[in-house]
Amino acid sequence: MAEDMSIESYLAQGGKLSNPANVPPRYRAELLKLMTSFVDSALAGAAGFADVINEGPGIKARIAAAKIVLEKSDNAYQVLRLLGEFGADTRRYETRHPWAARLERSADIGQRRSSQDMRLAVFNYPLKDWSDAVVMNLLMGRAVTLQLTEYSQVSYQPLAEVFRAIAPIETHHAELAEEGLAQLVEQCEKDALQASVDYWLPRVAASFGTGDSAKFEALKAFGLRQTPNEDLRAHWQAVAAETLGKHGLSLNL
Amino acid sequence: MARFHELEVTDVRKTIRDAVVVTLKPVNGAAAEFEFTQGQYLTFRRDFDGEELRRSYSICAGKDEGVLQVGIKRVDGGAFSTWANADLKTGDRLEAMPPMGSFFTPLDAGSGKNYLGFAGGSGITPVLSILKTTLAAEPESSFTLVYANKGVNTIMFREELEDLKNLYMGRFNVIHILESDAQEIDLFTGLVTEEKCAQLFEHWIDIESTDTAFICGPEPMMLGIASALRNAGLDDAQIKFELFASAQPGRAKRKASSAEDSRAGNQAQMAITLDGATQTLEVSKDMTVLDAALGNAMDAPYACKAGVCSTCRCRVLEGEVEMVANHALEDYEVEKGYVLSCQAYPVTDNVVVDYDQ
Repeated sequence: MAEDMSIESYLAQGGKLSNPANVPPRYRAELLKLMTSFVDSALAGAAGFADVINEGPGIKARIAAAKIVLEKSDNAYQVLRLLGEFGADTRRYETRHPWAARLERSADIGQRRSSQDMRLAVFNYPLKDWSDAVVMNLLMGRAVTLQLTEYSQVSYQPLAEVFRAIAPIETHHAELAEEGLAQLVEQCEKDALQASVDYWLPRVAASFGTGDSAKFEALKAFGLRQTPNEDLRAHWQAVAAETLGKHGLSLNL
Repeated sequence: MARFHELEVTDVRKTIRDAVVVTLKPVNGAAAEFEFTQGQYLTFRRDFDGEELRRSYSICAGKDEGVLQVGIKRVDGGAFSTWANADLKTGDRLEAMPPMGSFFTPLDAGSGKNYLGFAGGSGITPVLSILKTTLAAEPESSFTLVYANKGVNTIMFREELEDLKNLYMGRFNVIHILESDAQEIDLFTGLVTEEKCAQLFEHWIDIESTDTAFICGPEPMMLGIASALRNAGLDDAQIKFELFASAQPGRAKRKASSAEDSRAGNQAQMAITLDGATQTLEVSKDMTVLDAALGNAMDAPYACKAGVCSTCRCRVLEGEVEMVANHALEDYEVEKGYVLSCQAYPVTDNVVVDYDQ
């Protein structure tokens, strides 16, 4: 009972934390970064997608797009609620940024985030039209599914639980996107679709981050990561190539 | 954002020699804020010699008992817990944030589940709340508690647990594991380790039919139990953790000598904007921007106070401050004048900062 064990060693052995009271400072910083990045990306993703709802070809497509916007916003809210337990002012947070704001389509920012928020770089690029939105949503949806599987194991249990609940919802968004893609392929928009694929592929690939192994080992010791970025990215590429191939599109990285 | 509210102490009762159960009543119309779910905790704040301490304690009452109670065990050298055990009395007021935490699973009156709880020492508090609530809300469910303590005289809520056994005959079972007191059955003596759990799962606990397990105790115990549960086939979603007691450094820091703080030449005038309102303060240069704001009743946002979480970020509009640590802000943010107010000390005699930007 009275054995002493440091939180760091507890985490390295697979221990779970459950409230903000006893997370060590460095862990807290990484955890908050992870949560903020998710919230900002989900809010920016939802806001960007909201603009194309009306471009959906038919009511069913617009319902699907609206549902995606609604659910991504709700997913952001679930994680934001946890951020609130760490002292974040959630009400101010929600209105902090113009979430729909985007850079130029030709902007080249690599993996850099903007100075305003922590959204993944990919969410700073604008969607061109409906088919472009479908392609982006499919590629990013497959990436998010893998990333959420990874993050469902994080050592901060309340966040792991939220991610476990969110994962099937995000997976479904990618499925909706694939249905949308199938329809667009039938309408023979292949060239435009392939152009969108070529545009989004490197940008989504960049969202997996770099291969900084020292950083990864530190996060792993905290129980915040399990699988290296490279492995996740390779896995995603395989999944994306298979999905695209089914619809006669190719993955040219 | 969670804010602190005042609570009145309506009762302080000793459970064992060094632990009290404190009953609280929200005042100033904050009752609705303190509706809680079983297994949640309250975060208190109190000033000790000018240093604010925040401590979290689990609610030990059941959801439907109509009272708000926390259990506070005295930790050696722990400023808050020692004070609560020695000086806290009925009629005192405490400040706490509304209940937080997700150490619970949703309840359903129609379901008949088998729950397993593990508690080490004062780790019993949230588990007690969970088991009382669950047994009352789910008449078909059963709960087995494995409760680890040093000896018989350190068992918190021992009588209450006996009463619950009688009340929920056949649905509630307690296994006491005592570190130093010998018991009739050898298995029930010693530490609750992975091996001990595996042995318990052989004859004493029906692990195959367990739906959810709750664990609250010190780190090594939690690791051992979790490992045994996983080996027995439970997955992560079925194991709920709450880590509390041993991880909280409780000692209040001694405030650095403040005699020279007030000497002339060490003062700065600081204008702080927060939530649209600006206050101008005369402050010591030995005080962080955040502490200056907090010390003047401004509810500035902060969390870690260690320069890592960036919750306390503000922007310097005029003058100069020095950050002693920065693990959160990127270079471009610093260039724009953003600072972590918990780490920022005034350098110039005039400083203007804004939390709203």
